[in-house]
Amino acid sequence: MFAHALVLAAALLLVAPGPGKVWAGAPTDQLRSQINRTIQILDDPELKKPGKSKDRRAAVRQVANDIFDFGETAKRSLARHWAARSQAERDEFVQLFADLLERSYISKIELYGGEKIRFVGEATDPDGAIVKTRLITKAETEIPIDYRMHLRGDKWLVYDVLIEGVSLISNYRTQFNKIITTSSYQELVKKMKSKQEEFIQEEKRTSQR
Amino acid sequence: MDRSRVNIAVGMFVILGIVALAYLSIQLGQVSFLGGRGYAVTVDFPSVGGLKAGSAVEIAGVEIGRVESIGLADYQARVTLRVHSGIKLQEDVIASIKTKGLIGEKYIRISPGGSEKIIQPNGRIREVEAPVDFEELLSKYIFGKV
Repeated sequence: MFAHALVLAAALLLVAPGPGKVWAGAPTDQLRSQINRTIQILDDPELKKPGKSKDRRAAVRQVANDIFDFGETAKRSLARHWAARSQAERDEFVQLFADLLERSYISKIELYGGEKIRFVGEATDPDGAIVKTRLITKAETEIPIDYRMHLRGDKWLVYDVLIEGVSLISNYRTQFNKIITTSSYQELVKKMKSKQEEFIQEEKRTSQR
Repeated sequence: MDRSRVNIAVGMFVILGIVALAYLSIQLGQVSFLGGRGYAVTVDFPSVGGLKAGSAVEIAGVEIGRVESIGLADYQARVTLRVHSGIKLQEDVIASIKTKGLIGEKYIRISPGGSEKIIQPNGRIREVEAPVDFEELLSKYIFGKV
């Protein structure tokens, strides 16, 4: 009798709809569709032509904007220094941080050469989800990449990426905290701005060549 | 008469010795009675690789608690921490398992977050970083290239 009740309860739990229109697998599906979009862009022969690299990067950034919650990543990376910032400072910082990520990662995406991505699992709880993937290189090496996601409206957005278990937010949080505590927040912003400036100059030089 | 007094003295010394030994082992073993002070927080790690009950929990290198127990939950390591009661942990803190020095003991480093929400007693830290397995990494990059 007791066993029956348990089975019934479990069945009800499975059938009962979650909050909103969310169902299991949604984070993985949304992430997969965006990753497929990125791979399509990278494999597009039209965009592979020389001189098209700017368009290609812009297209990738567009996808990144759709799946990443840069605001949340910036907030969590700044951690306890976030609360002291004014709204204008926050907006500026999010922009600078998105530029930093683009500089460090999206520009590297040009090196993509047919690596495969395998989805290996997903764990969801009321506050968010983690989607586990493996990047399979051409040498058949598997690199674990996990995405931490949360629900905003009806979209699952990525706010942290863990490569080999190392968190992107944790990395930047440590660095930002060090710069802010040893000098100041203004110094950090100055540093990020000058880096971006340098990058733009560098881009101009390479495109002129 | 004299003999029994000596016996009592010896007995006292033995009891004193035993009490001292008990005190010492409690102090050195860092055994906590009645669940200890502070509050409990759980963290799930994909692997704890070398972390033990009694390992330190630190923020900025300062001890703020200890690992109370480690168990298995859904093939993950569920670690229960006992955090000193004065310490507030924000909801977005990150718990990472780190090694002291190159080959030292493992400990949990907490990097404080910026959320307004505070983790309640018996709550859970969601953001974790598993220890980097150097052997696995090495073998991957040595043997990976065929």
